[in-house]
Amino acid sequence: MYAFDYHKPRSLAEATALLNANPEARLLAGGMTLIPTLKQRLASPSDLVDLGGLPDLAGIFVGDGEVRIGAMTTHATVAHSAEVRAALPALAALAEGIGDPQVRHRGTIGGSISNADPAADYPAGVVGLGATVVTDRREIAADNFFTGMFETALEPGEIVRQVRFPIPEAAGYAKFPNPASRYAVAGVFVARAAGGVRVAVTGAGPSVFRVPEMEAALTASFTPEAIASVLVDADDLNTDLHATAAYRAHLVGVMAARAVTSALES
Amino acid sequence: MPEIVLTQASAHLRHGSNIGQPLTRRDGVLKVTGAARFAADNHPPGMLYAVLAVSSIARGRVTFLDLQAAKAHPGVVEVMTPANKPLLAEDPDAKTNPFIFRLDVLQNDHVRYANQPIAVVIAETLEAATEGATLLFPRYETEAVRIGLEAGESFIPPGVGIGNPAETHQGDVEAGLAVASRRIDATYETAAQYHNAMEPHAIVAAWDGDSLSIDMPSQGLAMALGRVAGLFGIPPESIHIRSPFLGGGFGSKGLISGPQVLGIMAARLVGRPVKLVLRREQMFGPVGHRAPTRQTVRMGSDSDGALTAIDHHTKTASSTFDDFFEPASDISHTLYASPAISTSHEAVRLDTGTPLFMRAPGEATGSIALESAIDEMAEACGMDPLAFRLKNYAEVEPISGKPFSSKALRDCYAQGAERFGWARRPLASRQMRDDAGLLVGWGMGTATFPALMFQGQARAVVRNDGTGIVETGAHDMGQGASTALAQIAADGLGLDLDQVEFRSGTSDLPDAGIAGGSSHTATAGMAIHSAGADVIARLADLATGDERSPLFGAGNAGVIARRGRLFRRDDESRSESYAEILARAGLAEIEGRGNSAADPAAQSSYAMHAHGAVFAEVKIDPELGQIRATRLVGAFAAGRVINPRLVRSQYYGGMIWGISFALHEHAVMDPRSGRPMNPNLGEYHVPVNADVPSLEAILVEEHDSYVNALGIKGVGEIGITGTAGAVANAVWHATGIRIRQFPITLDRLIEPTP
Ligand SMILES: Cc1cc2nc3c(=O)[nH]c(=O)nc-3n(C[C@H](O)[C@H](O)[C@H](O)COP(=O)(O)OP(=O)(O)OC[C@H]3O[C@@H](n4cnc5c(N)ncnc54)[C@H](O)[C@@H]3O)c2cc1C
Repeated sequence: MYAFDYHKPRSLAEATALLNANPEARLLAGGMTLIPTLKQRLASPSDLVDLGGLPDLAGIFVGDGEVRIGAMTTHATVAHSAEVRAALPALAALAEGIGDPQVRHRGTIGGSISNADPAADYPAGVVGLGATVVTDRREIAADNFFTGMFETALEPGEIVRQVRFPIPEAAGYAKFPNPASRYAVAGVFVARAAGGVRVAVTGAGPSVFRVPEMEAALTASFTPEAIASVLVDADDLNTDLHATAAYRAHLVGVMAARAVTSALES
Repeated sequence: MPEIVLTQASAHLRHGSNIGQPLTRRDGVLKVTGAARFAADNHPPGMLYAVLAVSSIARGRVTFLDLQAAKAHPGVVEVMTPANKPLLAEDPDAKTNPFIFRLDVLQNDHVRYANQPIAVVIAETLEAATEGATLLFPRYETEAVRIGLEAGESFIPPGVGIGNPAETHQGDVEAGLAVASRRIDATYETAAQYHNAMEPHAIVAAWDGDSLSIDMPSQGLAMALGRVAGLFGIPPESIHIRSPFLGGGFGSKGLISGPQVLGIMAARLVGRPVKLVLRREQMFGPVGHRAPTRQTVRMGSDSDGALTAIDHHTKTASSTFDDFFEPASDISHTLYASPAISTSHEAVRLDTGTPLFMRAPGEATGSIALESAIDEMAEACGMDPLAFRLKNYAEVEPISGKPFSSKALRDCYAQGAERFGWARRPLASRQMRDDAGLLVGWGMGTATFPALMFQGQARAVVRNDGTGIVETGAHDMGQGASTALAQIAADGLGLDLDQVEFRSGTSDLPDAGIAGGSSHTATAGMAIHSAGADVIARLADLATGDERSPLFGAGNAGVIARRGRLFRRDDESRSESYAEILARAGLAEIEGRGNSAADPAAQSSYAMHAHGAVFAEVKIDPELGQIRATRLVGAFAAGRVINPRLVRSQYYGGMIWGISFALHEHAVMDPRSGRPMNPNLGEYHVPVNADVPSLEAILVEEHDSYVNALGIKGVGEIGITGTAGAVANAVWHATGIRIRQFPITLDRLIEPTP
């Protein structure tokens, strides 16, 4: 780890000022990804700006047909929230399935989506539900937020404040977890809303992506059988230590069907 | 406890009061409370921390190290490189006997594998040493690496394992295959594996002039002593090694490793005590591993299912600079009767560290191939796998024709099958599903491991307060040696366990032999047993020759030692306590010595092996290929059981390794760089509790009058054999898909290999 200066601002304005004053500064949320990255010297920020001192950034609000989750809300808080469980149980279940208890009690939704790990769970929920990411300067639609592997539409110094999830008619999430980390080898989030069905896949490709063929098939008939014959092309998927692209393509089909089943059961 | 009759046991010893008791580990409380002091817990005054800088290339030369940057870092005391390392008295590349392996201790700038030590940074703190090692930013001259069994030129090794011939032929295999009515010819692949004991290799070394004090986990204290003495040119008497506890070894701590020698060199260089502990990823290189294999098994059988030929060929690998060849084919020597058996090995040389003994070296690797092949052969014959094994049961050792010193394998098959419910197994594959729709499969394998003994010594003392001391430099790797051996010690002296102080784990004690080859209880135990017998014989001489003793004149009738007294064998109303005997003789204590070694006469007449039968159930998600080993039953016969609780836990551990072999462990090497890609326990998978829902081990009674006077075989390694194959066979039975590459990966159960 290289040396850095640590700040804990008390307001968003103070945080923004610190970021502006130090172009090499980085935001710190739960630290679950950033701190190991620092330890391995894959990053060398001059300053860390800890968002943990901003009470406005954490918290859950359910109402107006939406679930709004503050950027600094931990996975455990989402998983255990009675309101989220009632309004959007698939999202609570997604949060419950992240990592281990330590990670769930430190890691945050803001950190997760800003980091945009290709195997992270939240991106599937954000895209699958057609959520809106609210930052200190604008609102970004989910489909425009994730731009590539570890890449988002966030500009330098931009701070995620909140994610707004429209409450769907039905939703389900299923993933095949890596046996050690629980990151998704492949995870599929399926949601049916008035506007149609959305299917978002994480873990399988370089970044979260939608599967239009499945969406069309499920809009016609929201059943696991409807997508049984939809094949996902392995060409653009990842091959690594954990799984081949072909196996991931297969997993996407299985997880999509399981997500639909779970949506129908909830 | 029934009285145990020992054919060659000393007449005045009787066993059973301590031996056979399921005592818990005597060091259990120390370990649970954290009071047990492992090697790296020792911090002598003035101690410095040493951290290895290891190579990120697998072949070439180190051309530059930024010594200035490292040395300039606050807290760094010294950087040890080939240029300034202390001189050794012996070339670390010299090979003087098969148990000496070449070490990488900065003898030059050559790199022969990834993670080879290339410098050692010594500092006031661990953090400073770690930072110093990072600041070295090595530069290299890199050569193309040879990784994988296709790399390099294949050759027939001069020997496999320790001194076994690379090829053995018995009968005419080709003729046997020609007359067979059913044949199989199958090739199996096993992955490279790394031991990964929980406790990394560590050393704390302190020099005082030419005397050397070492804390270091060791499975072979006497050999380590000899190696250190040779390398540093000092007499063994001036070296003291303490190894009271090991956090696992599995063979990788049998010999002192290069990094540990570097710790001693670092201490010499800076003139202060030094501690050096490997990081997890540094254990993927300089401390041994199990080499990958590709094994081809050909078998034939007649129309009744009797084998006509077994041909087992293994291709494996050693390093470019030393010889260790996994003797995988040799498993086929002992298990199944066949008129013709042929085993052979070939090898390539790779840019890896030298492979070494890893729990059941050869047996584990060969077993998964042999037991899979037997399953395939049974399938080809349309026979139940257990019936097929019984049909080909070896009444004598197939390769040698020798009778077995004992072999309760039929009982293992029967008890294991009964407990598992094997009789209900459908013959065909893909027949069973559970309520959740998972595919269910049942498979089995035969377990076997040779009953070995090394040479060992022990010392025993009875004091005039009636208590005893027994000493031998035995190694408690976590298996519970210090408990089981104390039980033998107490019985050997005819004392209760709490009356005996058992000392082990340091190099100044008599050599107990290496804790390897599943031989430690037999070797150290027999030395202890003999030392106890020696003391009791001396006490008996004192008593029976003294007319003031109630035992006077009992010389011919003999005496029995029990609970601190000698009893006249033919009249137990006449007895005398050890304390009384010593007091009358005016002695403070009496000492005896004991040795142990295999009996060459018995060895030349009998084949000596432990056996077992393992039955496995797997459940497989048909959509995902995800495999769970849901139920395992093993039944093992390994001679006398000193402590059933500890023996059972050895079987459990072995069986878990078997699951690991079949389903999890796989060191993935980058063919371009030669680096291990998963040198951490997040990506190099081993089973965790959730992977092992149900495990049962049955201790099958077996009496062996030939292996040694105590009738002990070994239990440390056998559990892996049989199990790995049983799991693989269960996967076939569940799915109808035969996977011949281990570990079995899920994708291959979805897309059958073409
Ligand atoms: C062992 C382990 C297992 C895990 N398993 C899973 C899993 O199964 N599924 C899964 O989805 N995830 C998993 N994770 C990831 C974890 O859940 C966290 O979500 C993730 O590490 C990032 O969140 P964080 O709050 O810790 O962010 P940090 O590590 O603090 O920050 C991550 C990045 O986001 C930036 N950032 C943080 N907050 C904001 C913000 N509000 N606005 C803009 N930028 C911001 C930071 O500057 C940094 O670049 C795992 C992590 C670990 C260590």
